[in-house]
Amino acid sequence: MCSRKARQVTALAEMPADVEHIPPAEESTPSHRVLDFFFTPRDAPAPGGDNPLIQSTTQAPQIIRALCDRFGKAILGVEEYAGEQTVLVETQRIADVCRFLRDEQRFQYLADVGGSDRFVEEDRFEVFYNLVSFEKGKRIRLKVRVDEAALTVPTVTGVYRASNWNEREVYDMLGIRFQGHPDMRRMFMPEDFEYYPQRKEFPQMGIPGSLPLPPRTPEGPLQYDPYPAAHDGPTPKSYQEPPSEIAEEE
Amino acid sequence: MVSQGARNEGFLTTRVDAVLNWARSNSLMPMPMGLACCAIEMMAFAGPRYDAARFGSEAMRFSPRQADLMIVAGWVSYKMAHAIRRVWDQMADPKWCIAMGACASTGGMHRCYGVVQGCDNFLPVDVYIPGCPPRPEALLHALMDIQEKIRNEYSVTQDYVQGHVLPEGQTGNGIG
Repeated sequence: MCSRKARQVTALAEMPADVEHIPPAEESTPSHRVLDFFFTPRDAPAPGGDNPLIQSTTQAPQIIRALCDRFGKAILGVEEYAGEQTVLVETQRIADVCRFLRDEQRFQYLADVGGSDRFVEEDRFEVFYNLVSFEKGKRIRLKVRVDEAALTVPTVTGVYRASNWNEREVYDMLGIRFQGHPDMRRMFMPEDFEYYPQRKEFPQMGIPGSLPLPPRTPEGPLQYDPYPAAHDGPTPKSYQEPPSEIAEEE
Repeated sequence: MVSQGARNEGFLTTRVDAVLNWARSNSLMPMPMGLACCAIEMMAFAGPRYDAARFGSEAMRFSPRQADLMIVAGWVSYKMAHAIRRVWDQMADPKWCIAMGACASTGGMHRCYGVVQGCDNFLPVDVYIPGCPPRPEALLHALMDIQEKIRNEYSVTQDYVQGHVLPEGQTGNGIG
């Protein structure tokens, strides 16, 4: 007990002094003003005044410069929208870029991987990678473009294991295969589904007959009509229901 | 049904159906098929504030063999539909089904390729509840509707159809 107490005392002594209390702002400039939410995307970070908590996490020019120095022509461009910087990377180098960012720029966390269908002739699909560095308080977004003729992207599961399921989702929704992925199966849709639902040409209500409904009787066949209740009447009960007085009244 | 004389004798006369339906309707055991946010309202329905125990339905059974009322609460995807139908087939007859909320009834706001547009496409639904999500009172009302339905059924006396005796050799409703 004594030793534990002594350790506690030393630990307290090592702690830094409390931060000096800062009184709230005057009534004329209420402090909650700086937390206004802007509905339209802004090109520059919101004016924070002297609030140290407001600083841009999505702009990292030094890191982007380091990327350009290291990879040169593999960095195809940097675009900025709504105060967020996005780096367009050559498709085959994405794993190298991620490894560089993880090991040398301390981006330990892969927040998200996803894809989109731009529906253009050339480089139709796009895969994005959102990375976060907790140490630097920065976020960075990488993008690669994929052409319809060669739907493959090198996997980043060797760098970030968290990308496993996200890459499967991209494959499920858009049909982009990830080279070197340990388990390239569909994520959400059934294994034998033949389409990629997030492609722009896929109809919103699906393709009739592509997803079977369960049988309407215990021994019945699968149903390939998506609206059997509308076409064949109500689903029968497994036992014949006696007529009720409620039904008679109606 | 109970005459004054019979009460003094210590017995009463009634129909088997009436007794059985009374017992069945007041001891419904729901199978909570909670698929989305409607399931939160379903929990409130079972909890002490709305208290489904007043209607004898507090015993949620997560095993289909012990349940006789399926509450489909939430949107049904094509993938999940097969599991739901399987659970429904495992439930013993007689059984009833409530489609809770807009999504289970019609697909609701999920008008897209992955969601079944109403679970009545593969389940015989007895009561539909509107709402997104419906309040627990609405679910209680649906439960009372199911009870009303059960009390008006001919459950045991299958030889009688609407009170008439069937001819010799013929069985009521084709199930005997």
